[in-house]
Order: sequence, then structure tokens, then C-alpha cells
Amino acid sequence: MAMKTDVPAPSEPGASPGGRGGRAGAARRAATYERGSLLTRFVHAQRNRPLWMLVPTGVAITVIVIIPVIITVVLSLLNLDVSTLREWLGAPFTGFKNFVNAFTQPNILGVSLVRSIEISFVFSILTTVVITPIGILAAFSVHRRFRGSGVVRAVYLVPYVIPTFVTALVARIAFANGTGFIDQLLGDLHIANRNFYWLIGPHAFWAMQLTEIWATWPFIYLLVLAGLQAIPKEHYEAAALDGATLPQRLRHIVLPELGGVLKLGMLLSTLFHFGNFTLAFVMFSSPPPPSVEVLPINAYFNAFSSFNFGVASAIAVVTMVILIVPAYIYIRATRISEGG
Amino acid sequence: MGVSATVAGSGGRSAGRRRRQAGGSAGSAEQLLPRWLVRAVAAVLVVVSVVPVLYMIVLSLTPNQAVALGTIDLAKLTWSNYTSMWSAAPLAAGLFHTLVIAGASALLSVAFGLLAAYPLTRFTFRGRGPFMTVLIGVQTVPGTTLVLPLFAVLSWIQTTISTQVIGSYWAIIITYMTFGVPLSTWLLVAYLRTIPRDLEEAALVDGCTRFGALRRIVLPITVPALVVAFVFAFLVGWNDVLFASVFTNASTQTLAIVVQRFANNSAAALPVYGELMSAAVVSSAPVVFLYLAFQRYLVNGLSAGSLTGV
Repeated sequence: MAMKTDVPAPSEPGASPGGRGGRAGAARRAATYERGSLLTRFVHAQRNRPLWMLVPTGVAITVIVIIPVIITVVLSLLNLDVSTLREWLGAPFTGFKNFVNAFTQPNILGVSLVRSIEISFVFSILTTVVITPIGILAAFSVHRRFRGSGVVRAVYLVPYVIPTFVTALVARIAFANGTGFIDQLLGDLHIANRNFYWLIGPHAFWAMQLTEIWATWPFIYLLVLAGLQAIPKEHYEAAALDGATLPQRLRHIVLPELGGVLKLGMLLSTLFHFGNFTLAFVMFSSPPPPSVEVLPINAYFNAFSSFNFGVASAIAVVTMVILIVPAYIYIRATRISEGG
Repeated sequence: MGVSATVAGSGGRSAGRRRRQAGGSAGSAEQLLPRWLVRAVAAVLVVVSVVPVLYMIVLSLTPNQAVALGTIDLAKLTWSNYTSMWSAAPLAAGLFHTLVIAGASALLSVAFGLLAAYPLTRFTFRGRGPFMTVLIGVQTVPGTTLVLPLFAVLSWIQTTISTQVIGSYWAIIITYMTFGVPLSTWLLVAYLRTIPRDLEEAALVDGCTRFGALRRIVLPITVPALVVAFVFAFLVGWNDVLFASVFTNASTQTLAIVVQRFANNSAAALPVYGELMSAAVVSSAPVVFLYLAFQRYLVNGLSAGSLTGV
């Protein structure tokens, strides 16, 4: 009655670890069960605290995420090709040869691992740097309701919710040389030649970059808007009473409150864009031009075009190692905020 | 017992009131940017967001040849792409496969998620902290890190039991659960945490088992969160290209794969980009309408996973 069911009561030594429910009559029943078999006690404990409910998710995460990650590490140390893959458990161990190969030999598309790391870094950091101010401005622009703000909020979501493969296909046509919307617009405005060749060569990277920015700024917008809505209205009113100017309000009320959200958003954005596979894979003809070969594309073509599964796994491991730091910061931030 | 629950409950209510007030006629105290700047930003972003979408729609109504030549004539729009595309690529089959695969993996993910979220929000037990950490951690694992080992394991199983596994519904449903299960568990943890425990505790006093309380009391009020979790888990399957390109074959390939292959094939001698764009509209319309219809719930869900308590 007076006790929370989820707090173990230290005053009941010897009770089964799961079954210390403090409800009326429970203690008496527990005393009965204590003399029962281990199975009875287990069943009783699970009736009060059904921790078995964790089992499906626990098993699923272990079997389809954690073990595969470990297997990736194992695969990266094996000599694997199309003939040994099916029997990969018996494939010869080669140490770090795959890593050496990944770093020293370009893949079948002529792109080295170092170059892919570089492209992924530039791509994800540039995306984050550009979408952050856009997202902040967007959130500020609809934070205070006005006539039509509901429609504007809905429209802001559209680029983000369109599936990436659709965005990529529209971009493929919009950036098509001479015939696409972008070339025609730039040509008509006399900004650039109509034959800019966005989809091949070095320009392809910028076509992909612009598309990613178009599609993902609402992510920051959503986070910042939620952060803004969480600031108590009284803070603004107090500031207004004090006669704070707009810049002062931004600096002293909004920025401190948004700091955490922004840091998290930029971290997540970098993390997600680093692993973006779909845009580069669908937007360009297959295989994509070397300038858009982000890490996932490099790993994919190593695995499923040239069947170098060992090298591909090595690249996947390198990707994980690069992402460990942001992932760790993210996990920590989320765990702390969520209270232990 | 009820103290913490009551406090949480009243906190939730006053937050709701505050939001409603802000939604009404808020004073200029909340004005963060000069009005002209607000209008300019909104105008530019709306145009930039909408133009590519309109472009896609106009192209979907333009004959293939005109799209390929870049000669779009708004006076000559036609619905013909929307009828001819179904025979140009196996879109109907792709749509069906996507519904089966994404639907099944989302249902399983939500069921797993609800089961796990309940004890995670109701009890403290040894291992709860690590469990939550793993739950967040696995969501940072990149897809390419999972696609290789899953392929290796599934092709090994395939060889061992000499049955086709890669290309089956189960293979791809299970791979989508790698994202669906942690995602829906996390969304439901965030939601269940906000539900006061009073009702369940009352049911427990009346002799209900924990599982019974979950079924009779918690489940009915969790329906909105279950829908949100289902939608997000479903969209994993709807949007994915990476896993589907490896784990599906002609008899299971999803809409995304059909459309992507259609694009690569149609880039050949006679581009059928008009039909490609009508297929693109069909692939995105359900998702966009889903979001706009349930905007409020989904946006909350969208930030719940990454923003809990920050």
C-alpha cells in the first residue's frame, strides 16, 4: 500500500529476488511460496514482476544486432571471397591483411578507403553545418503561431518525410544534364552553362550534397522547435518585463535552453549522414561516380560487386571505429538525461 | 505509493495547459525574430520545399519523351503515365511485397517493444541500466555493418539446410527488425514512462496479475503510442533500399527496389522518366499523407526517441 512495487524492500531477507511486492497480503503469500520449489517461486516472482517480458526483445537484439556486429569483426579477419563465404566459419584467418588491403588498394571503382573516409567526413559535416542554421531559422519562423502557420509547419515536414529513394530519383532527373530543372534554371539565369554535368565527375558530389541538405534540414527544425516549445512562457514574459531586446532574449533565454538540443541534433545529424547509403546508391547510375563514394557505398561494392567480403567487413569495422566516439557521446547524453 | 505518480500526472496536465495557452494569442514576448524576417524565412523555405515536389508531380504528368528532352509543357499534361507504369515495371507486386514485409516486421517490432517497454518503465532491476544502454547503442550501428554479417549468416544457413533463405520473406522481415525492435521499444519506453501508475496499481490490489494489468489497463491507453511505433517501424521497411537490394529476389522485391531498378533500366536508350516519376509519386504519397494526417502524434514520436528529457 505505502510502498512502490518496483522498489525492493530490504527488510525481507530470503524472499525470492523478483517477488518482493509490497502489496496487501503479498508478504503472507510470499512466505507460503518461500517454502515452495524453485519453480513455484520463479512463477510467483514472474507474476508480480514479469521480467520475462524482456526476453523477446533481449534475444532479438542479441541475435540480430549484437552477434552480427561481432561477426563483422570476425569476418574482417578472415580471407573471404565468393567461394569461401558460404563456409565462412572455416575460412582461413588472415590477421589484419584485409585492413591493409582496404587502406592500400582502391576498390573496383578505383576509390581507396582513405578517399571514402574523406568523402563521408566532408559530406556529413558539411550537411550538418549547413542544415543547422536553416533548421534554427525555420523553427524560429513558426515558433509563434500566425495565420497559416499550421500549413507552413506541415510543408516544412515534406522534404524530410519523402522517402530517400524518391528524393534521389527526383534529384537524378532535376540534375540531369541540360534537360533537368537545375541546369535549365541556372542556364536561364545565366549563372552557369546548361551543360554542367551534375551527375558525373566531381560535380556529382555537390549534387548529392545539395540534395541531402534539401532533404534533411527539417530534422534540426523539429528538434529545435520541440526545444523552443519546452521553454516556459514565463521566461519570455519576465524578459519582456525587464525590457530585454530581441538579441538579448535570444542570447540569454533561448540559446542556453537550446544548447543541449542543438549539440545532440548536430551529433545525430553527423552520425546519420555518415552512414547514408541510399542517396548515393539511387541518385546515380550504378556504379556511382567516384566522387560520391561514401563509406557505405565503398563497403557495399566491395562486398556485392567484387565479392571481397573480408575487405568489405574491414571497411565496416573502420566505419564503426570512426563512429564510436559520436555514438558514445550520444549514448551517454541520452542515458544521463533519462535518469540512470 | 501514489505520490510520484500524482506529481508526474499533474506536471503533464499543466504542461498541456501551457501549450494550449501558447497556441492561442501569445504576447509578443515570444517573438524571437523581427516579423519581416519571419515572413521572409517562411516564404523562402516553403518555396524551396514545395518546388521539387511540384516538379515531381508535373513530370509524372508529362510524357516520357518530353521529360527526357526537358521540354515540359504545362498545357499538355496527361494521366497516361499513371496507367502505363504498372506494366512498365512490376510496381503492383513491389507494393504488395512492401506491405507484407514492412507490415509484418512492424507488427513484430511493436509487440516485442511493448513487452520490453513495460518492465523497463515499471520495475527497477539489476541489468535495467545496461539494457537501456544497449537499446540506445544498437540504434547507432550503421546498416552496412549489419548487412554483411546477416548475409554471411543467412547464406551459411541456406547452404546448411539447403533451402532458399535469402530472398524469402522471413530473411528481410528479420533484418528490418534490427531497426524496428530497438526503435519501437525506445518509443514505447518514452511513452509508458509518462503514464501514471495509479490505475494499474488499483488493478493489482484488486488481484490482477501484472500481465493482466498490462493487457486490461495499460494497453488501451497506449494505443496512440503503439500506432506511432508501428508507423515508424513500417517506414523502415517502406524506405529501405540497402537491405532489400541484398535480401530480396524477384518474388519478394519491395517497391523501393522495383523503382530503383526501373530507374537504372530506364536510363538506357529510351528513358521512361515520366513513368518513373509517377511511380515516385505513388511511392511517396502514402508516406506524406500518413505524416500530414497524424502530424501531431508522429512529430512527437519523431523527437521522443532522440529528445527524451534533454
